[in-house]
Amino acid sequence: MKRFLIISIGILLLGGNSFAQDSKPGRTQFMVRGYGHAGLDYLKTPDGTSLSYVGAAFSPIFIFKQGSRFLFEAELEFQLDQNQLDIGLEYANLMFVINKYLMVRGGKFLLPFGTFMERLHPAWVNRLSSKPLGFGHDGIAPSSGIGIELRGSAPIGGTTINYSVYSTNGPRLKDGSEEPDEAGMLNFENYIDNNINKAIGGRIGYLPLYNSSMELGVSFYTAKVGDKGSVYENVRSTLWAFDFSYVKQISPIKGVLDLKAQYNQTQVSDAYYLELEEDRDTIASYTFDNFSRAYYAQLSYRPSMSGNNFLKNIEFVSRYSKLNTPEGSEWESNADELSFGLNYWISWRQVLKLNYSFINSEGGHDATEGAGKQQSNTLFVQWAIGF
Amino acid sequence: MKKLVIISTLSLSITAIAILSGCTAQREVAAQKSGAELWAQNCIRCHNIPSPTAYNNDEWETIGLHMRERANMTNEQIGKIVEFLQAAN
Repeated sequence: MKRFLIISIGILLLGGNSFAQDSKPGRTQFMVRGYGHAGLDYLKTPDGTSLSYVGAAFSPIFIFKQGSRFLFEAELEFQLDQNQLDIGLEYANLMFVINKYLMVRGGKFLLPFGTFMERLHPAWVNRLSSKPLGFGHDGIAPSSGIGIELRGSAPIGGTTINYSVYSTNGPRLKDGSEEPDEAGMLNFENYIDNNINKAIGGRIGYLPLYNSSMELGVSFYTAKVGDKGSVYENVRSTLWAFDFSYVKQISPIKGVLDLKAQYNQTQVSDAYYLELEEDRDTIASYTFDNFSRAYYAQLSYRPSMSGNNFLKNIEFVSRYSKLNTPEGSEWESNADELSFGLNYWISWRQVLKLNYSFINSEGGHDATEGAGKQQSNTLFVQWAIGF
Repeated sequence: MKKLVIISTLSLSITAIAILSGCTAQREVAAQKSGAELWAQNCIRCHNIPSPTAYNNDEWETIGLHMRERANMTNEQIGKIVEFLQAAN
């Protein structure tokens, strides 16, 4: 299967080249873009230290444009994990421009739940080598979904508003029957609908300044998450996200200031889950307030107006992120992260990152019982390129 | 729940105030913005400003449509930016 995929991609790449060699402008365009990264991680935890080359990740994006209104795009993810090659389909969606203010897209697409996962996660865009706590594929909020979406934007006076509303198959509630320690968690990587109910979500973003330097966004997402016919059939999840961005080149500080923040919260309605008591004979039921939250704030500064050619390509970045999962659940955890980074931009789309992270964590279903608060320190060196 | 209502109300209030304060001068400035200004002000919201020479004219058309979708930008903004990049590459 992997060999077939690799051969298919090779054929597509050759096809892309043949398009590029044709100098006649056409209504059909095919491009391969994407990004890749490689690096070195040094990790120090109470269990020991490790030093390892990591990454070798490759994420090609195939873009097919037909006319001025139709676009198909798909992103694959190739990544080495535990000596295995993991292949993932990040998104694959069709898009059609209905009019000046509206587009429709269908398929698997990145969800505009906040901005981090839709716009900022690629390695050559993300200012740090890691994602904030609680964000990403194993986070507390969805990053992609299969469904249909209407999106667009419009000028309002000197300002701009952008909007999106979508329906997807939605997440699935883990009831603990497969992994008792994960009872009550949501599986957002579930792409087969486990009930008739569809997830409904949307985001409104507003850029209040005429120079588009600031954006404020509110996102909403709700779905029934239990399996059809089960006792969890009516369990509902309700998620909110609030995001903020301010990016501007400021003359007095001779550079670009970039401030980004996002707050996510997930509430799952009350349900009773089963657990095996310590005597291994008794089954007891328990419940908890299934509320999780994750947020981050990131500040970066690049002295892009400096007269020194080396200094103008340097970027300083810091980020704070925090994750809280439900108290009383088997996967209860509290963690926070403080990261600092020094980046060197080799070109506008190629960067060398040197990052250091302090992570304090307590709990989590992978943690040793009674382990208490743990601190881990990580040094990342990452070389990332967008193409 | 109360917190949510407060945050939502606050966000909507900020939005409403900002919409109402969108003065004529701002509107005129926005409409008169060149492709170069829009390129410098918008691309940087997520990533560094791309070099016009990075792609050819046809490729900029494709990337323009891709970015209109990904960054949810207006038709006018993307049109002006693509025109600028095609002229400057």
